[in-house]
Amino acid sequence: MQVVGLTTPQEIFVAAKERKFRINEILVIDDPYQGPLIGEVVEANSYNRFIPLSINHDFIDARVLESLERLGYSISEDEINIARVKLMTEASFPVTTGAKAHLPDFSEVRDFLVRSDREGGLALGEIKNTEETAASMDESLKGLFYVYSRGERYRTRNVPFLLDLKSFQQYPHIGIFGGSGSGKSYGLRVIMEELMVKEIPSIILDPHYEMDFSDIEEGLEGAPDFTGAFRKFQIGEDIGVEFLALGKRDLLDLLSAVKPLTEAMSSAVEILHRRGDTYVSFSSRLELLAEALELGRIRIDKMLQQDMEPAERERYKKMKELIEEYPNIPLVSVQGIAWRLRRLHASGIFNYDIKPVKEALLSGKLAVIQGPIWLLQVFSTYLLSNLYRARRDYKDGELRGQSTADYFPPFVIATDEAHNFAPKGRDAASKGVITEIAQEGRKYGVFLVLATQRPTLLDETVTAQLNTKIIFRTVRGHDIATITEETDIGAEEARRLPYLPSGDAFVSSPLFGRTVAIRVRYPYTRSPHTLNPFDEIKRYRVSAEEKLFGLLEPHLPVYETNLLKVIQALNTGAPDVKLEVKTLKESLDNLVKSGRLKKTDTPFGAMYHS
Amino acid sequence: MQELNEGLKNEFRQAAGAVRKRLEQRPDRAGMRAYIVESGMGRFIKSRKMSKIELERVMKKGGVAGVDGSTNSTGGIFPYVITLQQAMAKSTVAEEEIYFQHVICPLLFEEAVDEAGYQELVKTSLAGLEARAALSAVEKFSPAVLLIDGSLVRLKIEAKHLWEKLKEAALDSGTLLAGVVEGISTRVISSALKGVLPEAVTGACDWELLFGVLDVGEGLEVAPGCFKEGFRTIFMRTSGDPKPIGIDLLEEQYEYLGLVENLIYTLTPESGRGIPLWLDLIDKKVKISDATIEGLLKTYLGADYAEFLAPKRAKRSP
Repeated sequence: MQVVGLTTPQEIFVAAKERKFRINEILVIDDPYQGPLIGEVVEANSYNRFIPLSINHDFIDARVLESLERLGYSISEDEINIARVKLMTEASFPVTTGAKAHLPDFSEVRDFLVRSDREGGLALGEIKNTEETAASMDESLKGLFYVYSRGERYRTRNVPFLLDLKSFQQYPHIGIFGGSGSGKSYGLRVIMEELMVKEIPSIILDPHYEMDFSDIEEGLEGAPDFTGAFRKFQIGEDIGVEFLALGKRDLLDLLSAVKPLTEAMSSAVEILHRRGDTYVSFSSRLELLAEALELGRIRIDKMLQQDMEPAERERYKKMKELIEEYPNIPLVSVQGIAWRLRRLHASGIFNYDIKPVKEALLSGKLAVIQGPIWLLQVFSTYLLSNLYRARRDYKDGELRGQSTADYFPPFVIATDEAHNFAPKGRDAASKGVITEIAQEGRKYGVFLVLATQRPTLLDETVTAQLNTKIIFRTVRGHDIATITEETDIGAEEARRLPYLPSGDAFVSSPLFGRTVAIRVRYPYTRSPHTLNPFDEIKRYRVSAEEKLFGLLEPHLPVYETNLLKVIQALNTGAPDVKLEVKTLKESLDNLVKSGRLKKTDTPFGAMYHS
Repeated sequence: MQELNEGLKNEFRQAAGAVRKRLEQRPDRAGMRAYIVESGMGRFIKSRKMSKIELERVMKKGGVAGVDGSTNSTGGIFPYVITLQQAMAKSTVAEEEIYFQHVICPLLFEEAVDEAGYQELVKTSLAGLEARAALSAVEKFSPAVLLIDGSLVRLKIEAKHLWEKLKEAALDSGTLLAGVVEGISTRVISSALKGVLPEAVTGACDWELLFGVLDVGEGLEVAPGCFKEGFRTIFMRTSGDPKPIGIDLLEEQYEYLGLVENLIYTLTPESGRGIPLWLDLIDKKVKISDATIEGLLKTYLGADYAEFLAPKRAKRSP
């Protein structure tokens, strides 16, 4: 291998006959005057001067090449390989042409590849095309995990990519970008697994119900057991919002998450909500006011003059008070608020609190928060503000030298579909708290891991704070443009983005000072959704058919004219089947179609038999 | 402009007319074939592509080797000329490549030479290098077939001593020598058919008479006695190109003519210009580029003197 052609202090060409270059490979150039220079292959070419790309040239046909091969000569012997190499740090002078180059020993390039150790870093995957260098790596870094490539799963042979946890304080927050099927979800899963291994308190918002870590992949040696390391919470079933603790702002956010509030509604909520309100007190106030407004002051007065039960009288009295207190609130606003509140209540959100989440974090676990996306948005706003406040209060107290607040640990917040939580150009309930954490979180040790397939739709202030970006395959030109703008990813890498295989990613991190091409490691656990929905349909159909056939078998042969009797027998035997004549006939015909039964015409109508 | 060139146009018209006349009088395909067959100066033979098994047999016998040479000079005015020559032999079987190089300069000779004499020397010197490469290839690789770029007769004339050695070595080791001639300049046919051919093409070159006359894969084997003594020659159309190539063979190895023809036909790309790919590969490897010459000159003579050797026309702006 040697440097050829015109060189610059930043970029050179290296040619080799004996081996092909691969993109992202690291080479050491032994410049006789400047000492060893380290560069990365950014473009790899092979050229055979005997097979030129020229229309005017004699076209060499394959048959002749094959004949030559029979005669003992292979044209590939005359191939040369050329790499465009970008130096990691600019040289003082242009590189000497003719300088030799070699594949580095691990010790030569350690600092460029590994910025952490096994204990202090999140092992996210392997650095691509570093096998040769990895061979001379310390044993403790070898074969740390499995990777999956081209249908095969094997122990990594490359240098591991370790994301240093401690560096988070300096460079907080991770962004994960990539289209669907790009491996983004795997990437997120791997990060969560690594956080669990390190027992870092974390929260993940899981709108897809896929963050379960109890299902371990088979055949992975040394896979940790995560069953005790995470806890799953369903909003409205395990956790919820303590109404009493809600501030006006929280309540407004919650209500507007159901459906945006009008100006009038917002001010109505501000007026109507009182400190110390419970759900019951607030909702009954709303309902009563709505009724009062509907009746009108005159009719309420009239009613009060009539004779009635004391309880009933009490009700009208309250109505009168309310209507006198809030004469200017329009009825529609009150009804709108009441409707939103009912919907929230129906989700069960007010029946629980967030204590279990706090407990999970305090014991260093991962809390998985599940719920439909609208509810998740509402709830996360409340949850994150609360947890963030808990941490901030503790830390601020500590700084002032008065530890009044209870201990609350630093933690990581992760979410997929992050553009829903902090969208660009429009408001969302959760946007405020996420922006705040993005800007100030590092002071308190609260970090974000935000994944999205649409970086363009993510709020710019937030994007700007994501110091480490993991970028998977991206096809949309718009998103590629955003990524190029927001990261230090180069033009070469941006061009490759649409072609990245699933699971491959570029990591742009200030810690490395360059873009590192990685392959995300194979997760130890799998998502509960790995069954293809179409397989599911098929599986269900087969099992339903199987079940019916099992029930029918003792009654065979079955006559078309006598179906009712069969149904009676079946329904007593298996009450959950609930067949009718029409559906049974259809099912029988289906069984004939699939070959399980035969249908023969007899004088008594069609007969179904096996 | 139009006016001014009227005379020129006329002259051009006349010249084109003469060319057309000659082309028109050239016997057509059937006519030409008839002349040749009737005169008995040669016979038409068909070649075929060799099978994999046949090729493997050739490989086991030592494979195919090729020899080619290249010469290039600094562009100075005589005697400020330095000529670099190189010949190369390469076998399909061995990894080693044989190179012979030589530098000539009029100022190196003790006796003064004139320009024409120098050119002659350059020619014979290159032939000598090629013969040495060929000899070395026979000795080192003992290939089944040795393809030489250019005619064998030329080697015999321009490097007589080495040629005799080469021939002897080839006959000893059983290597078939074949000269492959891209630009045929012989007049074998017209001299054999003297008085028979139309007047306009009397003394025409062989390529001219055979242009388009042969089918792809077809050759005209010239009868013994019609060609230089000790050699046999075939004109053959090895590709889609209608202009045939020439193949020279030793008289002693005449019996292997079929094998050599088939091999050359097999190794020639269908859409190429008719030269076996192996020789094309060697040609590309052996070629001395202008850049090499220039680089050497600047290194060993110095840029200031190199300027002295640069001809005026190289400074023309494009």
